[in-house]
Amino acid sequence: MGRSVLKYVRVRDYLRSLVTHELSAGDTIPSERLLCEQFGVSRMTVRQAVDALVVEGLLDREQGRGTFVAPTKVDLEVRLASFGEEMQRRGMEPSSKVLAAEVVAATPDIADALDILPGERVFYLHRVRFADGEPMAIEQSWLSCQLVPGFFDGALPDSIYGELRRRGLELDWGEDTVSATEVDAQDAELLGVPAGRAVLRLARRTFAGETACVYSRSTYRADRYVLWVPLRAPKRPLTPRAGRTSSELTAEPATTEVVG
Amino acid sequence: MSEGRSGVSEQAADILAALGGVANIIEIEPCTTRLRSEVHDTTVVDVKALRAAGAHGVMISGHVVQVVMGPNVDTLATDLEELL
Repeated sequence: MGRSVLKYVRVRDYLRSLVTHELSAGDTIPSERLLCEQFGVSRMTVRQAVDALVVEGLLDREQGRGTFVAPTKVDLEVRLASFGEEMQRRGMEPSSKVLAAEVVAATPDIADALDILPGERVFYLHRVRFADGEPMAIEQSWLSCQLVPGFFDGALPDSIYGELRRRGLELDWGEDTVSATEVDAQDAELLGVPAGRAVLRLARRTFAGETACVYSRSTYRADRYVLWVPLRAPKRPLTPRAGRTSSELTAEPATTEVVG
Repeated sequence: MSEGRSGVSEQAADILAALGGVANIIEIEPCTTRLRSEVHDTTVVDVKALRAAGAHGVMISGHVVQVVMGPNVDTLATDLEELL
């Protein structure tokens, strides 16, 4: 068991490198027989390796035609840009299909995310986002009616961020919470993928300074997106100074004298 | 009231008090948009007071209290360091 797992991993990782660094989208991969010979493994082991990359979305298997290198996944950078801006930056043409655009009462979770009270009116926008005509993501967005009065008057804004900036809201920070799930039947249909496929779910709060401007929940196809996260070492943590007595420690912080 | 504190913000003092004061702090780490604090006792953490002090969210898990503040966490951390 252990040995065959290792063999399978070797074939899979060889194919992964081949697909990402030597072949192009649409190319065929080496035949099963060739891979069996090259690695001295059974046909079943090769199939397992290929299956794994099909599931990962690196390969596309077409019935009766063979197995091909899938289009490169879009690296979904966690940055404060909208779907449309990101797609344009990558030379893809963004478009949307609006499923709902209405004013609703904020439920407690939405209110919390927007720093407003439950029941306050919010604009709700539900869209399928396309890149070059292909469905890529589903996006639900909520904005406080009080913050952006008349947001839905006239034509719906193509870009929420764009419209907010026009209104003088300088979006400068936010937070994404990312999870992975299987797509439900309805979202699968909207995304044009089989139900049960993996998707990335992003919940985002977008702020302009101290003002919470947008809360959104997006569902991205995991076969077309990877998440790219820049990392840096944590900042040095702050700790209470040693040697302070507990009576000093309980002194009201607001009266602490600071020298220098 | 603020002149006695050499520019240390009232906000930092309020946040520290809401976290249970210096005595309750094990460590505080500024994390991009959050203050990630490890405290001795989470039951004395005053979530309402944290929100009143400008927090956009408070997550408590185990001994860790994460306070969503935005990109000003670094400035806030500098102030907190003076108070600790």
